Amino acid sequence: MPTIEVEQITKRFGQQIAVDHASFTVDPGEIFALLGPNGAGKTTAIRIILDIFKADSGTVTVLGGPMTEEKKDRLGYLPEERGLYQDVQLDRSLVYLATLKGLSAADASRKVDAMLKRFELYDHRKKKIKELSKGMQQKAQLIVTLIHDPELIIIDEPFSALDPVNTQMVKDLLREERDKGKCIVMCTHQMHQVEELADRLVLINEGKVVLYGGLQEIRRSYSGQEVDVHALTDLPAELPGAARVAKHNSGYRIHLEPSVTPQALLQTLVERGVQLEKFEIALPTLDEIFIQVVTTAGSPQ
Amino acid sequence: MYATRKKSIMIKVRAVFIHEFLTVLRSRSFLLTLFLIPLAGFATILIIANLKKDNQGIPLTSIIAPSSEPKPLGLIDQSGIIQTIPESFSKHITEFPDPASAQAALANEVISGYYVVLPDYLTSGQVDYYRSDFNPIGGGSDSYVLRALLEENLLRADPQRLKLFQQPLKLETHFASAAPQRDPDSALTFFLPYAVTMLFYLLILGSSSTMLNSITNEKQNRVMEILLTSMTPLQMLTGKIVALGLIGLFQTAFWSGSAFMLYRLSGQTFHLPIEFSLPASLLAWGLLYFVLGYAIYASLMAGVGAMVPNLREGSQVTFMVVIPLMIPLFFINTLISAPNGSISLFLSLFPLTAPIAMLTRLAATQVPFWQPALAAVLQIGTAILVVRAIAGLFRAQTLLSGQAFKMKLFFRALVGKA
Repeated sequence: MPTIEVEQITKRFGQQIAVDHASFTVDPGEIFALLGPNGAGKTTAIRIILDIFKADSGTVTVLGGPMTEEKKDRLGYLPEERGLYQDVQLDRSLVYLATLKGLSAADASRKVDAMLKRFELYDHRKKKIKELSKGMQQKAQLIVTLIHDPELIIIDEPFSALDPVNTQMVKDLLREERDKGKCIVMCTHQMHQVEELADRLVLINEGKVVLYGGLQEIRRSYSGQEVDVHALTDLPAELPGAARVAKHNSGYRIHLEPSVTPQALLQTLVERGVQLEKFEIALPTLDEIFIQVVTTAGSPQ
Repeated sequence: MYATRKKSIMIKVRAVFIHEFLTVLRSRSFLLTLFLIPLAGFATILIIANLKKDNQGIPLTSIIAPSSEPKPLGLIDQSGIIQTIPESFSKHITEFPDPASAQAALANEVISGYYVVLPDYLTSGQVDYYRSDFNPIGGGSDSYVLRALLEENLLRADPQRLKLFQQPLKLETHFASAAPQRDPDSALTFFLPYAVTMLFYLLILGSSSTMLNSITNEKQNRVMEILLTSMTPLQMLTGKIVALGLIGLFQTAFWSGSAFMLYRLSGQTFHLPIEFSLPASLLAWGLLYFVLGYAIYASLMAGVGAMVPNLREGSQVTFMVVIPLMIPLFFINTLISAPNGSISLFLSLFPLTAPIAMLTRLAATQVPFWQPALAAVLQIGTAILVVRAIAGLFRAQTLLSGQAFKMKLFFRALVGKA
């Protein structure tokens, strides 16, 4: 059973349509990327899922039914608009927000201490939030999101303001949560992080779902007539089926003629005695797909 | 299931309550206000006590406005009315035979000014007054001396009539009520209800403003979205209202206790005449009216807080919301001098003015029991309606919008149309 089922939701603010008949599902044990350019409707979609906003039409099912007050304790949310009580001590602020997720004060206090140690913030626990660096505040937000061991985690730009070491730590943490069977919805503009972490994704543009599916499946569907070749010997000057050959990352990128398949090219190379070290169908990066889809409203070729 | 859900709701309300209570209690501005006001009172009493010790009998007014030895006034009587200047007047008034000699005395600063009672005084009542400086406000303040002198001389033939003229009535007021009555001429008759009114006004306004501060602070700190995914707006509102109301009561109890201690330290014992002792029932009514008044105004402030993007804009709007609370202050003379009149009755029953107006009346006079009871019922009804209306306004879309405040939308929300 999917953790989240979004079915044809629409939300208007005055004349503007923020979300336009969007549908997707998110399963337990997966990291799902919610992508889209600024103002595409991602945050509104998340707020509808969380029942902060009501959809004008369509239905949302979360953890097996409509959102309830009890279910709020089973989800962790890191919003786009980051915020903590600036004038309150770090540990007090975290314990308070944890108690609002249904933990007892004693439980909250114990878990906060453990998380502060894991996120290397324990020595700063008596400082006011405003005295912490941006990276530290970001880690504190992540603690608020995860402290109550939620089944559903929705995080908006989880890596912003984090250095490479902390970014890696958060990635490991998200993978760990996924492996425990948690459902993670991640909003980010950092496409390389999505490529590294996400299992599936949905791309929203102008409120509409324009791309939806498994990451590799999408990349394959957007792959062109290109292959990357690394060879121990030089390529023949004349290569039937190749429209263009260009140097690419210490190897070659071969652009195939429209009627030629990668398999046919591989056969030609082997027949010509080229000693191959690597032969790979060139997949477009998610960045390239994102730009292509958003700027041209393109679809798989 | 229902019991578990109710318990979960209560846990969250309690969490908000504890957080709000401790956050305000620990804040530097609250602690400064809490301790600085009694300390300022203590310092004032200490200064006055030292001044009194150094200069026994020095009046308080002389500390504010240093006094100088008053100069006598000159008098030239051209009408022949003034036959004698009694001994008691001689210190204040000096007679001169002609204007030239009076002018010379004025030039030498022997006198502060002089009067000329003109020859046709008996028909015109005309008296000219000459002084060296121009002072339209305080210049004529000494004329009572001449007035008394003229009265003495005009009616000297009939001492009994003169006496009656000077003190035409000895008023003795009789009341139908058996309760101890206050002297209408006593300053306490006015100042006691006035003090109660001001105390309540500041108490309700101060506590309600803390609510506005708390909500705008959460909006500015951008915590609102996390809070809304953890509890309902009504849970948040309930926890805040209870916590900040208790803070207000705690602050008042602390200040009252400090004031009492300071009074004792100043060497005075708190002893009001029996007719000015405030009844114990006033404390009970006061507590109830504070809770109700605070619930109404704190909810209104919460509504303002929900709709404004920041505290600065909130402060500008606050004035509009607290106008009804200020109305009893505009009518305070009426409330004290005619506490059972129709205006006083209306203001003390109307729910938005009742928290202040009824307390003023209760401190000023005996009020039939049904009136404060009815006012309380009306306030309970209003508080329920306002809390419900504001809870409706206190929803995510408003809290997260960041749009400028619109009074029209606010009033529409109050009548359930937003």
